[in-house]
Amino acid sequence: MNTKITTIEKDQPEEVEIRCHSISDEVREIVAFVKSRQGQLTGTADDRFYEIAVSEIFYIESVDNKAFIYTEKKVYETKQKLYELEDILREKHFLRISKSMLLNLMKVGAIKPSLNSRFIAVLYSGEQVVISRKYVPDLKKALKGEN
Amino acid sequence: MTFKEFFLSRMQVFFFLVTMILLASVILGSVFAPQQELRYYHLLSPVIIAALCVLPTMVTFSKKEPSLLRFLITHLIELVLIEGVVMIMIAPPEDIEKITFYIILGTVILVIYVLVELMMWFQKVQQSKKLTEQLKLLQQSEESSYR
Repeated sequence: MNTKITTIEKDQPEEVEIRCHSISDEVREIVAFVKSRQGQLTGTADDRFYEIAVSEIFYIESVDNKAFIYTEKKVYETKQKLYELEDILREKHFLRISKSMLLNLMKVGAIKPSLNSRFIAVLYSGEQVVISRKYVPDLKKALKGEN
Repeated sequence: MTFKEFFLSRMQVFFFLVTMILLASVILGSVFAPQQELRYYHLLSPVIIAALCVLPTMVTFSKKEPSLLRFLITHLIELVLIEGVVMIMIAPPEDIEKITFYIILGTVILVIYVLVELMMWFQKVQQSKKLTEQLKLLQQSEESSYR
């Protein structure tokens, strides 16, 4: 796929146009990436595509090489990899809390101790997720605004 | 957990143990051998016993995050080793039945062990509270930046 970038005047709206033969997975991935940069992720549920506002996401979990987006009431599957999402969402206060999970710190109500240097994050939905020992220093840095 | 962090936590345990062993010596000594006279070098006993009790705690060190089962097993091994070390070091007085002495000693060690674990847990609770406060501040600052 060729890429073409055109610089436009400041009074014109910026846009990304994809000219393709068919809407393939690759195209969907590009669209998902662009939208994620704008505060939205694309996910599928019940064989339908949904736009999910980043502010609605509680956490993102990777299971068997598939990433799932968890909101308060619904779970969506996304084509994007967890490490890609980690890069994109870092500025939106998402933090890696285990090998397979990214947590939205804005959705955490409290942090509780757990066994063996781990912590538990209690989400506003009432759900609890484990913060692995390895990622506790990153959490401390993030909360101090050092990340 | 790095070895440095683990070592620092063991130092904390050591100083807490010295205090607890000293207190236990005072209480048990005044009950079972109130007429006993001590020499200056006896003051070193709590320090030596605490140091020897910290050594078996090395079995709990792990760079990787252990499972809950492994965590419980290593702590059980740790307790058994500590009980063994102390029972080898302290001989029963002549006027007390051996079995009674070892039951009391074993119970005292168990109580001190539980107190140390409680102290460590209390520290984690305090740490969690601090993290939750920092989290709230982060969320408030983020919310106010949107207004």
